[in-house]
Amino acid sequence: MTLPVARRFPFRTPSLVTAGILAAALWGYVHLELRLGDLVPGSGGVTVAAEFFSRAVSPALVSEADFVPSGTPPLLLNAANAALLTVGFAAAAMGLAIPMGFVLGFFASTAWWEEDPAGARSRTLRTLRRMAGPVVFGSTRVLLAVLRSVHELLWAVLFLVALGLSNAAAVLAIALPFSGVLGKLFADLIDEAPRSGAHALRAAGATNSQVYLFGLLPLALPDIIAYMFYRFECALRSSAILGFFGYPTLGLYIRQSFSSTNYGEVWTYLYALVLLVAVFDVWSFGVRRRILA
Amino acid sequence: MSAAVSVDELWRERPRSGFIRGSLIVFTALIFGCWFLVDVDWADLVSARRLSNLERFLLEIRPFPLHELPWSWSVAWQWAREFMGQRGLEAVLATLAISLVAIVLATLGGALGSLLAARTIAAAEPYLPESRAPSRTALWTARSLVASTRAALVGLRCVPEYVWAFLFVALVGPHAWAAILALGLHNAGILGRLGAETVENADPAPLRALRALGARRSQIAATGVLPLVLPRFLLYFSYRWETCVREATVLGMLGIASLGYWVEDARTRGHYDTLMLLVVLGALIVLAGDLLSTVLRRVIRRA
Repeated sequence: MTLPVARRFPFRTPSLVTAGILAAALWGYVHLELRLGDLVPGSGGVTVAAEFFSRAVSPALVSEADFVPSGTPPLLLNAANAALLTVGFAAAAMGLAIPMGFVLGFFASTAWWEEDPAGARSRTLRTLRRMAGPVVFGSTRVLLAVLRSVHELLWAVLFLVALGLSNAAAVLAIALPFSGVLGKLFADLIDEAPRSGAHALRAAGATNSQVYLFGLLPLALPDIIAYMFYRFECALRSSAILGFFGYPTLGLYIRQSFSSTNYGEVWTYLYALVLLVAVFDVWSFGVRRRILA
Repeated sequence: MSAAVSVDELWRERPRSGFIRGSLIVFTALIFGCWFLVDVDWADLVSARRLSNLERFLLEIRPFPLHELPWSWSVAWQWAREFMGQRGLEAVLATLAISLVAIVLATLGGALGSLLAARTIAAAEPYLPESRAPSRTALWTARSLVASTRAALVGLRCVPEYVWAFLFVALVGPHAWAAILALGLHNAGILGRLGAETVENADPAPLRALRALGARRSQIAATGVLPLVLPRFLLYFSYRWETCVREATVLGMLGIASLGYWVEDARTRGHYDTLMLLVVLGALIVLAGDLLSTVLRRVIRRA
């Protein structure tokens, strides 16, 4: 009996890949002319850093601004409100991205055209479908790639210069790249689902939409749901960041409080953000664990 | 037994989870309820004022040498090439370099975090619980170590990269380190969590054998756990590198020399032609990163 331990070549692929990655990072280090010494902030930076981090244990509970205009809500209420709006923007974007993802994902999957469907009754229809299928599939894939490869903040900047500050534009800025990501994933999951059930349905005389809705989609649905929850968490982070561009989410207040050096307030908003994302993180993880187990 | 009965029975015996059902209800409620939270005015998006703004924008994204001239690919290409030579290429390389250094640091941090957060190796008696009953203090130390590491990982990953970067730029200045630390910390939090799961799911048999031979914890980690989890770690690495490249493009908007720096520069100057070119460039970097990491995953999976 031979033990399956000995290998002919002393280095396995994972080790080689690791070495390649380390070499690439070394190139990056040299290219950026990084020095560990630059990590130490200057004397001014040290004071600010000390001041900032010392407030981590004592976040502000009331506003620290010298002048508080009348009618401003109390700090904690404002933080809660900003957190709520952060969820609001994220949910609105997901509300658009999920249906868009389903529609785009349908056209970007091979399931609806690759296997000559029984539904096309006449020869002309069948030929048309055979030609249109790959074209629609290909162009949807390209559209998905364009949508998701432009970062949501770049979409936001584009909308900002093209249309100005608008809540609808902020929602779109998150929804567009997210529909690209969701669409691609939905298409991949539907294509990876086993097709035996779909074949059986087709043989039993089901129409195309029935095959798709009852033979393919249910098999991919658990993974789709699990992924939707994860993307919601990502949308939450993006929505918070949009605040840096002037939208009333948590990022706006983090920036404002920081620039007026009210570090205690910064920590209040940071903790609100961490708490919010952590709740969704634990939630989406729980859903994924139960679904994928 | 007729077919109808068995289908009914199958339906009744389908896996059901109250948690998932409840989650879906809350999820749907959030998505429909948010329209009451956020004041979204779609009509305003296509108002006359915004449309005239859009029209001006569409005129100004034409490359500068082609302003108010008929379109010519060669002139546009020449203009784009000139920009690439001046700033574009350097911006792309800096973005890639930042993402690479950041993800490697994140992986190292995440690997350390995953060892400290894995209940199997960060236990009072790793892998051989039956050998002798560990003392109460040892048990308590191990448990609190795991719990505090997990809490720290949650904190790291729940702060978005952009917020980390904003804080670091304010503290160490608009240096590439700010972007690297921001990406590194956020991703260390994610990789640490994923890694902890991988370490906990690693086949315990060889690790028990190592322990029985008298290997110390660090020796088990280096010679037993690491080879077992490396392929999985590399998969996670490639997924996270993809997002790192994506985020590195925009972190520059905070003043760090990546692609985003020039985006912000073009925006404040009102050079919308350059802005558009940079957005396209950013998309191309992201697509290249996607492609590269897909190839990497294929290589790892085949091994």
